[in-house]
Amino acid sequence: MRRSSNVILTLVAALLGFARPLLAEDDSPARVEELKGQVEGMNETMLEMQSTLSALAKVKISGYVQAQFRTGESDGQASFAGGSFPNGVHSQFMVRRGRLKVNYAAGLTQYVLQMDVTQNGVGIKDAYAQITDPWSKSLSLTAGVFDRPFGFEISYSSSSRESPERSRMFQTLFPGERELGAKIEYQPSGSLLNAKAGLFNGTGPTANENDNNKDLIGRVGFQLPFYDANAEIDGGVSFYGGKVRYNSKFVYAVAGDRWAVDSTSHPVGDYFDRNYLGLDLQSYFNVLPAGGSSVRFEFITGRQPSTSSSNSAYSVAFNAASTPLYRRDVSGWYLNAVQNIGRRNQVVLKFDVFDPNTSVEGSAIGKAGANFTPADIAYTTFGAGLVHHWDSNVKFIFYYDVVSNETVDHATTTANLVPFKEDLKDNVLTIRMQYRF
Amino acid sequence: MKKIFLALALLALPMIAPAQRGAITVKGSDTMVILAQRWAEIYMSAHPDITIQVTGGGSGTGLSALQNGTTDIANASRPIKPGEREKLKQRFNSLGVEVKAARDGLSVYVHESNPVRELSLDQIKSIYTGEITNWKTVGGPDAKIVLYSRENNSGTYVYFKDYVLRGSDYAAACQNLPGTAAVVNGVARDRNGIGYGGAAYSKGIRSIGVRKEAGSPAYEPTEANIRSGNYPISRFLYMYLREKPTGVIKDYIDWIISPAGQEIVTSVGYFPVR
Repeated sequence: MRRSSNVILTLVAALLGFARPLLAEDDSPARVEELKGQVEGMNETMLEMQSTLSALAKVKISGYVQAQFRTGESDGQASFAGGSFPNGVHSQFMVRRGRLKVNYAAGLTQYVLQMDVTQNGVGIKDAYAQITDPWSKSLSLTAGVFDRPFGFEISYSSSSRESPERSRMFQTLFPGERELGAKIEYQPSGSLLNAKAGLFNGTGPTANENDNNKDLIGRVGFQLPFYDANAEIDGGVSFYGGKVRYNSKFVYAVAGDRWAVDSTSHPVGDYFDRNYLGLDLQSYFNVLPAGGSSVRFEFITGRQPSTSSSNSAYSVAFNAASTPLYRRDVSGWYLNAVQNIGRRNQVVLKFDVFDPNTSVEGSAIGKAGANFTPADIAYTTFGAGLVHHWDSNVKFIFYYDVVSNETVDHATTTANLVPFKEDLKDNVLTIRMQYRF
Repeated sequence: MKKIFLALALLALPMIAPAQRGAITVKGSDTMVILAQRWAEIYMSAHPDITIQVTGGGSGTGLSALQNGTTDIANASRPIKPGEREKLKQRFNSLGVEVKAARDGLSVYVHESNPVRELSLDQIKSIYTGEITNWKTVGGPDAKIVLYSRENNSGTYVYFKDYVLRGSDYAAACQNLPGTAAVVNGVARDRNGIGYGGAAYSKGIRSIGVRKEAGSPAYEPTEANIRSGNYPISRFLYMYLREKPTGVIKDYIDWIISPAGQEIVTSVGYFPVR
């Protein structure tokens, strides 16, 4: 003990002896000036770094990957739960979405570029510039490729959505969700109302314009918060007013229980209406002690120019081969309920209906000579799932879609409608892991 | 297929059982840290079965933690922003519950030796936006003004920007420091410094009187002036929760806004909400 104390005392004495000249040196005016210069130099460096970092802070990089396994009831089945299965396959691993988003926000202006990288390649999702007015800061102009300003589900991010996919009607009427165009959005601070509207090519997010007509899309929305109850009701009315040019003189419309053709009153190159009207409502409330809950409803009705075999929007290039145009009246709706259970878990139920041709019932679709196709069959989808948030970055989704179709009951039906004499085996189980940063 | 679905559902059942709550996590405003720690210490001493973990990081950090589910309570020295509410809606289907937990006079600090006793809101704005750079312009010595501020994840930073700078940007020369204590320390060591922060921190430096307009009287950030509304830079200090509180968290919040909890507000140097 004594020996160690002696060692310590010796060390302290040595240190003090060493420190004395240093302290003396520190006290000298020259040394103080030197240190002051060094500190000032460091301050200048810090300020320079600060200005560099401030510029970098305007750049935000975010993204998410959705890796999933899904299995269907039959090989090669058509599906809206992540796309149709490859021929001969009813189960697969896939990267459903692989997003990387760069956002540069400089005060009242911003630039956004979002890519989607999956096993199918690289695609563009968003590429737009946005400016906000400097006076009220409630009016903004966006131009480029971005979400169509229609309804709720289109702009509800796939990374936040509790069901793996959007409802069938949105996937059919607004494939890819985005569109090329420009919109004005009015979102006054503290107001219950908001509005957005824009003009778009109407050909989808990655196709070039093929006519001189621009489609008008817009939504007038409201938000009614009830802060004391921690509840809110949001909603809106949306409209889509567009036209497509067709290359054929043949225009089909439903007459009674069959397609009837009109080849005289519509000259080639004329325009045809593509109009939708939508209503959306979302309610948020607490179910204690479980957690927050939401019920969302959306309804769309309208007229869809399409083709015999496809109920997607009609769109052909100027000199493309003529394709007869089919006028379909469409409607669809969904009801989605989400219940949070504690911090990490959510239970999801969704019921989704889409009728691509409201003018005809399933019983008439297979009638000989009626010329209906699978594109006229209505579907309902009941989905149920569990979402588990592993942490703030990772979540798992277990989701099962029960898909039911209208059935055809005619014995003489065409070959392509024969499978629809009964409910198709096309249910899908999706197990997804998502990482978001 | 049905068997697979049922098996998965059974596996997932344990996940949906609500977690037992014997611990409360509180994160957010640095202005409120000393108050939140004091509340937690006293509450835990009376409830030994409850653990309350308090951390700072700034109001934005706390509200972000509330959005991603990593804290039960977010302390904020500013109201929640609409965008933050939207994120709560998306993730938790909830708007968030706001609890006004205390009041604060946002003090403007100068060095004890600084002869400037009062400033108007416009003068403070001009100083922090870099229009006024010398103390001489506002009746002080002929010396360059050194600006101390908070970092941009701080609710105090946002509040000061919104209500004093009225949305204008801080001057580039502003030194952003992590925490009000660092700002106070910076000003205490710098004869030409100016900073801002919670009234509870105004020790070791001097808080100046603030005039609402050039010709109006100046008021110090005292309890009387803040309660009467005369001091022009007063604000509420908030606690935010995801849902309406139940169980242990409700008990804790009820206690904080009770007379016993509000006495602690006064003892720490802030002001009670009622």
